[in-house]
Amino acid sequence: MSKGDVIISVDKIVKRWGSFTALNEVSVSFKEGEVVCIIGPSGSGKSTLLRTINRLEEHDAGRIVVDGIELDNDMKHIDAVRAEVGMVFQSFNLFTHMTVLDNITLAPQRVRKWKRERAEKTARELLERVGLAAHAHKYPSQLSGGQQQRVAIARALAMQPKVMLFDEPTSALDPEMVNEVLLVMRDLAKSGMTMLVVTHEMGFAREVADRVIFFDGGRIVEEGDPAQFFSRPTHPRAQAFLSQIKHAG
Amino acid sequence: MISRLKDRDSLVLVGSVLGLGVLLWLMSAPLAMLPAPVGPAAEQFSAGALMTIQLTLVSGIAGLVLGVLAALGKLSHLPPLRWLADFYVWVIRGTPLLLQILFVYFALPEISPKLQLNEFWTAVIALSMNVGAYNAEAIRAGINAVPTGQVEAARSLGLSKFYTFLDVTLPQAVRISLPPLASNLIALLKDSSLAYAIGVVELSMVSSRVQAASFQPFPVFLTVAAVYLALTTTFTQFAGALERKLAVGKR
Repeated sequence: MSKGDVIISVDKIVKRWGSFTALNEVSVSFKEGEVVCIIGPSGSGKSTLLRTINRLEEHDAGRIVVDGIELDNDMKHIDAVRAEVGMVFQSFNLFTHMTVLDNITLAPQRVRKWKRERAEKTARELLERVGLAAHAHKYPSQLSGGQQQRVAIARALAMQPKVMLFDEPTSALDPEMVNEVLLVMRDLAKSGMTMLVVTHEMGFAREVADRVIFFDGGRIVEEGDPAQFFSRPTHPRAQAFLSQIKHAG
Repeated sequence: MISRLKDRDSLVLVGSVLGLGVLLWLMSAPLAMLPAPVGPAAEQFSAGALMTIQLTLVSGIAGLVLGVLAALGKLSHLPPLRWLADFYVWVIRGTPLLLQILFVYFALPEISPKLQLNEFWTAVIALSMNVGAYNAEAIRAGINAVPTGQVEAARSLGLSKFYTFLDVTLPQAVRISLPPLASNLIALLKDSSLAYAIGVVELSMVSSRVQAASFQPFPVFLTVAAVYLALTTTFTQFAGALERKLAVGKR
C-alpha cells in the first residue's frame, strides 16, 4: 500500500508536569492516509502525544508541524491546525444542551462559515454514515454510550478534517457497544482517512493499523508493522505488556 | 408526557408575565373596595407596586450584565481583571445595601456634581451593583460546573474561545445558575424597599405614608405584605417554569 506525504511531524517534543516527564524527546511522523495505533500502559504518554498534536496540551520543547503549520504560541496557527484535525475523546464530550444535529452543525457554521442548510445536509449524511439518521433530534442524554461516541465521530468529521485523533474511543463503553464504534472507525480507515488511534483494542490494531507504536515511560520504545509487532515484539517491555493482555483476554 | 409538561411550562411562563401585568394594571380596583385606610389609598399602593417592579426589573437586567462581567473577570487569566472583580464583589457583599444607596446618593456627587442622579436612577445604580455582585458568584459557579471536556471538544473543533464561551459554556452555565439567580432577583425585589431611604415612592414608602396618616398600621402593613407576596410568587412561578423549560438534555 502506498502512502502519501508526511502530514504530521513531531520532533523531539517534551512535556512535563512538575517533576513528571510525560513525553521525553519523542520524535515521530505520520503520513497522509496512514492508520497508526498507539498502545502502551497507562501514563506512558500516548494520550499526551495525541493532545499535544492539537494543542490541548502545550509542549515544553521540540517542534510539531501539522500540514505545514507549526504549532507555536500563535493562536491563528493553533485554530488553523484544530480546524484540520478532528478529535474523538474517551468520554464523548458531546454538548449536552444541544441536539445531535446541533452538535454536528455548530463548528462548520461557526468556523467554516457554512450556511445552516449546508451544514445540516452534511450532518445528515454523516449521521447516515454512522447509522444514526433517525436520532438527529435527540439530546445526547437520550442516547447510549456507543451512539454518543458515533455522534462524536460524526461531529469531528463534519469539519472535513485531514486527520482524525482518537483518544481511547472505546474505553468508556460497555463491552456490547465497543463493536459498533470500531465498525465506524474501520469504515473510516477504509475511506483513506489519516487516523491516530490510542487504544487498548489489540484486535482492531492488528487488523486495521498500518503501523503500531508502543509507548513506555514517555518514550516510543518500539514501532513497526502490526503483524510483526503482535507476533514477535522485540522490546522486553512490549513483550511483557502483550503477554499481560493475552492473559487478560 | 414530556411535551405536555413542556407545554404547561410555556403556559406558566406566559401566564406569569401576563399575571404580573394584570396585577399591576388592575390592582387598585380590588384594593379600592377595601375599607379605610387601604381603600382610599388604593391608587397609591398600585403606583408604589409599579415603582417596586420598575426598580426590580431595570436593576435586575443591569445586575445580570454586571454579574456576567464580574464572573468573567474573576475567571480571567489577567490578574488586574481578577483583582478588580474580586474587589468589587468583596466591597459590595461586605457592606450594607442601605449604606451603598446612601453613598451613591450623597457621597458620589461630592466627587463630581455630574454624578448627581435623581432618586430612581440612584436606586437603580446601587441595587444593580449590589445584585450584580451576588449574581457574579452564582454565574461563576455555573461556568465552573460546565465539564472541561466539552470546552476541549469545542476547542478541538476549531471554535474560538469566544464562540466556545457563547455556544457551549454560557448556555449551560445559565441553566446551572438559574435557581440562585432567581433567588437573587426575589431578594432584589424585597431589597428595593430600601430605596425609600432616599425618597423613592415605592411600595414600602407608600405603606409608611398611609400608616402615618391613618395610625392604623395593622391593615396597612398586612396589605403591603400581601402585595409583596403576590409579586414574589409571580416571580417564583416564572423562574420555576423557565428552569424546567431550559432543562433540556438533562437526564
